[in-house]
Amino acid sequence: MASQHTATAQAAQPLTLDGVTHSYGTGFAVDNVTLEVKGGELVALLGPSGCGKTTLLRIVAGFISQTNGKVIIGDRPIDVLPPNRREIGIVFQNYALFPHMTVAENIAYGLAARGESRAVQAERVAEMLATVRMEGFADRKPRQLSGGQQQRVALARALAIRPRILLLDEPFAALDKNLRLDMQIEIKRLQRQFALTAIMVTHDQDEAMSIADRIAVMSHGKIEQLGSPVEIYDEPATLFVNNFIGSSNLLKGRVVAVGPDGYRVELDSGAVWTLASKGRFETGAAVLVSVRPEQMVLADEAAPDRLPVALKLSLPIGGALIHDATAAGGEDIKIAVPRRPGALSTGPGTAFAALAPHARPSLFPATSS
Amino acid sequence: MSQRSTPADISFNLTVGLIAGIAILILVAPVLIVIATSFTTTQALRFPPPGLSLRWYGELFDPVRSAPIHTAALNSLWVAGWATVIGSVLSVLAALAITRVSRPSARALEASFLSPLVLPTLSYGLAALMFFSVLGIRPSLNLLIAGHLVVIAPFVFRTTLASLTQLDPALLEASANLGASRFYSFRRITLPLITPGIAAGAFLAFIASMDNVPVSLFLSTARTSMLPIRMWGMMESTLDVRIAAIAGVLIVAILVLMVVMDRFTGLTRRVSA
Repeated sequence: MASQHTATAQAAQPLTLDGVTHSYGTGFAVDNVTLEVKGGELVALLGPSGCGKTTLLRIVAGFISQTNGKVIIGDRPIDVLPPNRREIGIVFQNYALFPHMTVAENIAYGLAARGESRAVQAERVAEMLATVRMEGFADRKPRQLSGGQQQRVALARALAIRPRILLLDEPFAALDKNLRLDMQIEIKRLQRQFALTAIMVTHDQDEAMSIADRIAVMSHGKIEQLGSPVEIYDEPATLFVNNFIGSSNLLKGRVVAVGPDGYRVELDSGAVWTLASKGRFETGAAVLVSVRPEQMVLADEAAPDRLPVALKLSLPIGGALIHDATAAGGEDIKIAVPRRPGALSTGPGTAFAALAPHARPSLFPATSS
Repeated sequence: MSQRSTPADISFNLTVGLIAGIAILILVAPVLIVIATSFTTTQALRFPPPGLSLRWYGELFDPVRSAPIHTAALNSLWVAGWATVIGSVLSVLAALAITRVSRPSARALEASFLSPLVLPTLSYGLAALMFFSVLGIRPSLNLLIAGHLVVIAPFVFRTTLASLTQLDPALLEASANLGASRFYSFRRITLPLITPGIAAGAFLAFIASMDNVPVSLFLSTARTSMLPIRMWGMMESTLDVRIAAIAGVLIVAILVLMVVMDRFTGLTRRVSA
């Protein structure tokens, strides 16, 4: 790729949020958030709407002044800077391309605002168009472009000012499903190429999982868990994270013994499992065991570590067969097993569910919700 | 349309069509009649004209015999032009300010800026005359500009405010984010995007000033005569066919202006919205 060489190699700068708090009237939109995004890292702020992720993004951009706390780029606090002096690139949710300007004028805007010469502008526009592979579109108006093309222009416009930080606000929400993966790859490529420290706001866990280096799951203005996508998925720290990321089966149970290789948990549905957990539980504590559908298997015969389930439906979804079942304790559970080619859906019946050998269930105190 | 129309549909369409037809007839027929009359060969302001000629247009454009009409027309253009320019600048500033203040006070300000639209213009004309005489200001074209300004500025204010509220705030955020100062954002983003709205309002304001009678009636004098007042005077005294010719010129001028404006600003869309 020719454009790979033309991009100036600059040291990526870390972005630090230090105790950032923002309150509207009585409530907290962002509640004491501390987060360090390493130079060149892409962190996704993931959470349901109203969790404070967008407010946090707008605080970093300078559109909102936080009530408390600091935003630091490199080792310089930027809180006193107005938005137009922060040198942060943003890709807005609906791209916010200037409708009365051509693609080239949109991309050149940041340079024109800085008083750069026309020659510099033209050169950078050409470079950016090549970077996002939109060479033939310089003279089009935004309304003449498809969603994906508009997003490329929005990216080019944001990158043209050579920002230190890139903020992405729900970047894929407005795109067709089959375009999303392409754009995810594109954004990841550009973020690496320009060595950008990036924050992406999204409510879509798949987006966060696919392109983020780390994910901060947010709820009620707080970061519930910060970790790599794999950590977040495999070792959710709280029940909220567990339920928000992926699907999982929650089984009620009680700790009956604490041993060297984990807690012995007797499920209400009958089975007894020995489970490792970072959490601390007393003997007799009521717990919730969370197991991902693909970490369970079905067997025909009863055993102490198998729980009897009533199969209701089974759906062949791609390479997996998803069984919808009810456990003896009343919990609805889903079990995903690899589908053998040619195998069809099975009908209702009784079976026994067990943990797959690689399974790593999570334990949560039953009182938390 | 593949669907079959029911009798109810047909009667509905008939009724709507009939009402629309009557409305068009009432609106358009007088215009056609006055234009046809302006081409008459006779002295009388009568329809249908017995013959067609450009006689009265020749008469109207005669620099000597129609000098008072020309003066009045130029006065009207002068007043309408300046009132529109000054009114547009003030209205745009007012609209910009209003979009920045909090909601309740914006509402109150908006209502007060629009109040000249609902105020009876005739009362305002009288009030203005008395007010200016108390102040000891003598009638002049500048006074007429000031008087017209008050009644026509709300047109620009309204269309500008509508354009500003439709402006996506994310565009201004994007502009600031890309390094633009407030003034730069205004010049390159806000202003170009609200210009069609301003132009549409200015067009309406200009026309409102051109054919304003109530304010001119009180504030104009023999030396500062305005076209509509002059036309009314001619109507009362001589029933001159040149009145029809003036009407013809005005109608054509405004039609041309409207087509041009529509090209650039989508005027019809804005006014009907």
